[in-house]
Amino acid sequence: MGPALRVGLIALSAAIAIGLSAIATALAQSRIGAAMAGAIAERPELVGSAIILVAIPETMVILGFVVAFLITALKTVTK
Amino acid sequence: MIEKMAKVEILGLKDIALDAIDVIHDLGTLHIEDLTERIGSMDTKRVSRMEMDPKFAEHEGTLNNLRAKVGDMIRELQPKVDEMAPEDVATEYKGIWSDNVEVMISRIQTMLQEVERDTRDTVERKSDLLVELSRLEKYAPIMGKVQPLADRVAKMTDMASIALIIERKYKAILNYLNEEISKITEGECEIISSDVDDESTAALIVFNRRYLKQVHEFLAVQDVNQVRLPSDLSKKPIDEAVGEVRARIAQIPSEIDEIDSRLVGVTDKYSVKLIAARNAIHDRLEAMDAVPKFGQTDQVFIISGWLPEPDVDPMEKALTDKFGNKVVMTVVDIREEHEAEDTPVALHNNPFTRYFEILYLLSKYPRYGTVDPTIVFAFFFPILFGMMVGDIGYGLIIMVLGWVVHRKFIDKPLINMAGFVMTIGGAWTIFFGAIYLEFFGNWITRWLGLLNADGDLDKYLLGSKNSIFKYPLDRIEGFTFMLAVCLIIGWVHMGVGLVIGIINGRRENNLKHSMEKGGLFAVLTGAMMIIAKFGMAWWPAWLAYLGALLVVAGIVLAGMGAGFGGAIEGIVGMGNLFSYARLIAIGLASVIMANVANQILLKPPMSGFGGIVVGILMFILLQTLNIVIGVFSPSIHSLRLHLVESFGKFFEPASVRYEPFKKTGGEE
Repeated sequence: MGPALRVGLIALSAAIAIGLSAIATALAQSRIGAAMAGAIAERPELVGSAIILVAIPETMVILGFVVAFLITALKTVTK
Repeated sequence: MIEKMAKVEILGLKDIALDAIDVIHDLGTLHIEDLTERIGSMDTKRVSRMEMDPKFAEHEGTLNNLRAKVGDMIRELQPKVDEMAPEDVATEYKGIWSDNVEVMISRIQTMLQEVERDTRDTVERKSDLLVELSRLEKYAPIMGKVQPLADRVAKMTDMASIALIIERKYKAILNYLNEEISKITEGECEIISSDVDDESTAALIVFNRRYLKQVHEFLAVQDVNQVRLPSDLSKKPIDEAVGEVRARIAQIPSEIDEIDSRLVGVTDKYSVKLIAARNAIHDRLEAMDAVPKFGQTDQVFIISGWLPEPDVDPMEKALTDKFGNKVVMTVVDIREEHEAEDTPVALHNNPFTRYFEILYLLSKYPRYGTVDPTIVFAFFFPILFGMMVGDIGYGLIIMVLGWVVHRKFIDKPLINMAGFVMTIGGAWTIFFGAIYLEFFGNWITRWLGLLNADGDLDKYLLGSKNSIFKYPLDRIEGFTFMLAVCLIIGWVHMGVGLVIGIINGRRENNLKHSMEKGGLFAVLTGAMMIIAKFGMAWWPAWLAYLGALLVVAGIVLAGMGAGFGGAIEGIVGMGNLFSYARLIAIGLASVIMANVANQILLKPPMSGFGGIVVGILMFILLQTLNIVIGVFSPSIHSLRLHLVESFGKFFEPASVRYEPFKKTGGEE
């Protein structure tokens, strides 16, 4: 396997790690966001809780980002 | 910390009940307990809910009406409450307030009559002018569109015309109207339309005059808006009417201004009185609303409630001074009679920590008898925030902005608190910025010549590239090291939560609760000892094995404390540790964005003067965006780490906040 292909595969792996987790977060946030928008319309005092609840799925994309960053570190390890 | 509360019961002779309520209301320290449920569950029928005198119910209705009238007046005159001297309002309040409700009502009615007398004509005239202006402003564009069409129709004496106004989204209905009116008029009709604005379309139906009645009847059934001019204009030619409408539109605002200037005098004269009246009515009604929460027998009234321990003696003294032995107050031992959930919670923190009570906008107060975690929040929130943002330049901006907001909004507690929290967060941002040696990204390291040609950190002030501990700490290059730091911070942060959980269990004599929290802490500690082996080759293997043992023992202990749920919680707790990776992840995104902004400034995408301008604009835009995101996102994530990861381990919410029965000053 040539070095260019190796770097390319590492980059692709990192992209998949963050891309899929970002999609998962987006899906979760869209549902939570819609539900919380409805809840806030009924009870405006829930706005604080809504912000926290919407932030909860961000753990996925953050962990995806961490994994992606660790994968990109392989680029230097495999040199 | 949570204020120590005392439960008191006040008994006295029924004929002085209302006076006693007034004294308690004046002191404003008693959180009233609604006795309805307790009375309902009693076997004896000798104790009942206190009922208001029927005459009082009548007064309540009158006061509600007066409140509505005073509210209308305040809305109409719009007095500047912020500019009023509180002592002036207090003086007027005393002038209005009376223990005798009838006297108080009479005073307010007299004052309202005076206000009405001075404002009736002007207010009514202003209201009429506003209605007229609104109506004419609606007509003007429609008439402008219809005028050229109507002028042509006016020349044809056998033809009639009707103007319509239709919402643009229903414009298609014009085709339907055309078809139907063509049938009515046997084809002698035409509809001409023109859009007035984004929302409406004006249309003119022209048809043979002999079908006028049938067309009117048809349009009435169709529920279409026909443009009807004000009666004084309807008989005039449309061009003349348009001119008059425009002239009136120009004239009315000056008439309104003139009325407003006259109303300013009235506002100055009555604003303090109106606010004082509003406050007095509010307080009186609140006192009346409280009455059904009390109990009574044939001879005695019973008031039950809670108040902070330091306020017990002043309450007792006030009642004794006024009523002697006709009213008796006793302190009930809450350990015997009441569970902690029923006890209202008041917080009593030092002036610094008090600003961090902003946390309780998102959460209930902690339950009575447990530990108040405000101090934990005050300590960790700004640190976690600062660690994520970590830039001297951003920190300075956040700190200065926070302080300005804090000082500027002294009378708005929420914004004032947020400003203070932002200031402390900004200070920690500067501290971590100094550790990372970041100033709007990599400017300092660039000036010190620590970067290589690619813009990566290549040289260090202390240590070298291969050292574990080196300065500055580059978040990009030292990502793995920072990840380890984040996990340690997570362990400490969650550990503090679990230790509080153990203390809460001990305070409540709940050994199982303490066992569960202790087990979770052992799991977290064991997990860290195992992870350390993966990160640091020198970490002794026996410590990793000990960690594994701790994890198993912790899961068993948590299971013994809280059953299957506790064991599961132990495993989930390990996952919570990795949630702290956000501390570096979010910061990394921020520093990369700052460096990109710097790169664009130094190597603009275009050459020449245009390139410099674009580079500067992009730099300002990206850095500003980064600061905005840098304030918002780390705040949310720092909050989340507290509310979910740390407080989630021990926090038990209170069901009741301490809300004393006091004269609130009319804030509704």
